Amino acid sequence: MTTLPMADSSVSAPRIEIDAVSKSFDGGRSFAVSNVSFDVKQGSLVALVGGSGSGKTTLLKTINRLVEPDAGEIRIDGAPVGEAEPPMLRRSIGYVFQGIGLFPHMRVAENIAVTLRLLGWQTNDIEARVTEMLEMVDLPRDYARRFPHMLSGGQRQRVGVARAIAARPRIVLMDEPFGALDPVTRDNLGSSYRALHEKLGMTTLMVTHDIQEAALMADRIVVMKDGHILANETPHTLMRGSDDADVAALMEVPRRQAERLSALMTESRPVDA
Amino acid sequence: MPDGDMAGLLSDGQLDALSGAWNLLPTYLTPHIVLCATALTLGLVISLPLAALITDRPWLRRLVLAFASLIQTIPGLALLALFYPLLLALSALAASFLGFSIPALGFLPTLLALTLYAILPILRNGVVGLNGIDSAVVEAAEGVGMTPWQILMRVRAPLATPVIMAGVRTATVWTIGAATLSTPVGQTSLGNYIFTGLQTENWVSVAFGCVAAAGLALVADLFLGLVETGASERNRKRVVVGIAGLALGTLAGLAPLFSARAVTYTIGAKSFSEQYILADLIGDRLRADGVGVTRKDGLGSSIAFRALAHNDIDAYVDYSGTLWRNVMGRTDTPSREVMLREIAGWMKAKYGVTVLGALGFENAYVLAMKGERARTLNITSIADLARVAPELTIGDDLEFLGRPEWTSLKSVYGLSFKRRRSFNPTMMYHAIETGEADVISAYSSDGRIAALDLIALADPKHAIPSYDALILIAPRRAADKRLKRALAPLIGAIPIEAMRHANLMVDRDIDKASPEEAARALAKAVHLQPR
Repeated sequence: MTTLPMADSSVSAPRIEIDAVSKSFDGGRSFAVSNVSFDVKQGSLVALVGGSGSGKTTLLKTINRLVEPDAGEIRIDGAPVGEAEPPMLRRSIGYVFQGIGLFPHMRVAENIAVTLRLLGWQTNDIEARVTEMLEMVDLPRDYARRFPHMLSGGQRQRVGVARAIAARPRIVLMDEPFGALDPVTRDNLGSSYRALHEKLGMTTLMVTHDIQEAALMADRIVVMKDGHILANETPHTLMRGSDDADVAALMEVPRRQAERLSALMTESRPVDA
Repeated sequence: MPDGDMAGLLSDGQLDALSGAWNLLPTYLTPHIVLCATALTLGLVISLPLAALITDRPWLRRLVLAFASLIQTIPGLALLALFYPLLLALSALAASFLGFSIPALGFLPTLLALTLYAILPILRNGVVGLNGIDSAVVEAAEGVGMTPWQILMRVRAPLATPVIMAGVRTATVWTIGAATLSTPVGQTSLGNYIFTGLQTENWVSVAFGCVAAAGLALVADLFLGLVETGASERNRKRVVVGIAGLALGTLAGLAPLFSARAVTYTIGAKSFSEQYILADLIGDRLRADGVGVTRKDGLGSSIAFRALAHNDIDAYVDYSGTLWRNVMGRTDTPSREVMLREIAGWMKAKYGVTVLGALGFENAYVLAMKGERARTLNITSIADLARVAPELTIGDDLEFLGRPEWTSLKSVYGLSFKRRRSFNPTMMYHAIETGEADVISAYSSDGRIAALDLIALADPKHAIPSYDALILIAPRRAADKRLKRALAPLIGAIPIEAMRHANLMVDRDIDKASPEEAARALAKAVHLQPR
């Protein structure tokens, strides 16, 4: 059984290798993920973008074995994840769920502590860590006693992030983490997370359909369509254009928006006399 | 209990019935609570793991739920009755292979049937609750690294609790209601009020039983409701109050068990007034001797003998003709003395049952006429009746004219009536009063024979077998000197007139007495000395 060491400042973040992974949900007639290979470099934040049905969420779930690939292999620092016990593997990888995925019957503190309990932490350590996590994601300490339904969407997702990183994972997987939030909260949480990613020295793979968010947060962007990779580039390179028509069209959106916004800001508006 | 306000609404007799019912409450409520609490606990212990097991297996789930629904469609009384022969067979098997027997009557069959009844609502709500959880939440539980067991215990079970509790509440109300049906298979419960009341037409007792069962169900449901809302609102205080209430209520119901003296003898009774009176008479004598007595009332006619033969009851009264025809399967009609001797020998040899002796009266089918009319026509026996029968109308109780006794009477005396009419038993007595019938088929110990000034016609040719009331004693009490000594004074002590009077006290419409009161009056009337 493989267990992954937890993150601390002296150990560098791990590398994830995705090697020729395929997954079909209909016995091979069509593939959600088709022979996909790429690396996530240690300490990097990679965004998986693409439309719905492009296979990005399925691919993300193969990394912590919520989905088992039909072919191919995923390795973390060279160790195949297929050799780890799924529950143990998942406890060592932070996961931020689409639609937040907090446990409705548990208080905020219990939600944050859920993986710590599974790992058998002492009660005192858990309490201290929950307090620390609330601080880290900018939530008041007394929120620990609240239930998820008593929080706003943004607060809930802060709890989701706190739960994902409470056990000091070296890898965090995020599935549309900020999708359901308003733009201001979204931007705020995105930059907060990027800061945590740097500070804690983690490797992050994030699924999003928002190319602007990807461009602003990620070190690299992997573009998927119909289970295939169309591009795997830095945001900088992608923003300058692509030979692939789909990728070019995708990147055109934020660029045009940015141009319009900057034009708006420099334009001298006529003032009513 | 009966206070000034109620006195205005109820007659004195009803007030007496009410206070009688009230005094019996601990006797009936305690076994009812024990039974329901045990059945529900067993139901929970079986249903919850089963729900968890089948919830992710659609094929198995359909099968198990279909089976549970099927059981639910069997009427409660039938389900209880079905367990009796099943347990008898099991008991015989256990006796031959393991050397001990299982009681086939009373607590065990009732418990099994009620447990089966409790399973469906809990199981179905369990499956619905566990299945109804947002799949995103279950995936989140997997994603944070829970094992399937941890997902069940920490996420699915707590989230399904409100739905499961709704099922538990349904099961509880059903079980408390259905437990009243346990009386006919010999388990004392609040149903004793209802069944005894129905037989003795004591409607206060019937109503009391219904209200008591409904009250118990309401109280249990109230506490379970607290647990349910507490669980769904995560309000620990409510859950604790609910569970504490249930526990305290159960303990309070059980209290008489711990204070009661050791019970030693169980007396059985079939489901009519005379049987209740005689069981009370026997019970009073045993109690006077300082031993404890329990009752199994309202037993079916054929169940009663089997219960005795299997030592589920220790003593009861049966009738020689019934034993002769129904238990021994004989069709001949020997003289009374021969019959009694043969019954006693056969019972001992075949079942080890002791016939202690005859009480001194018969409860047989008799032909009865208005006394005045019989005197006018100069009739004292069936032989006299045969002369004028072609001019008369006979009324029966829907049953008699189809029985072997009637065939026998016809052929022995050459009886033939002008008209035959059938009535239900109560209407039959009205019919002879109004003259719609000249002769009726009555029970010889029925109190209404005396009350309506009827005379029972003699049967000089012994066409109808005798129906002597006999005290029977279970095999395991065969050598019990104390029991025999306590009951021996009853042998030959009860003349038919005394029994009729006691029956009438219970059966009459006005100034009704309870079977207990009638038993005491009977003991006094026949000068039984308290020991």
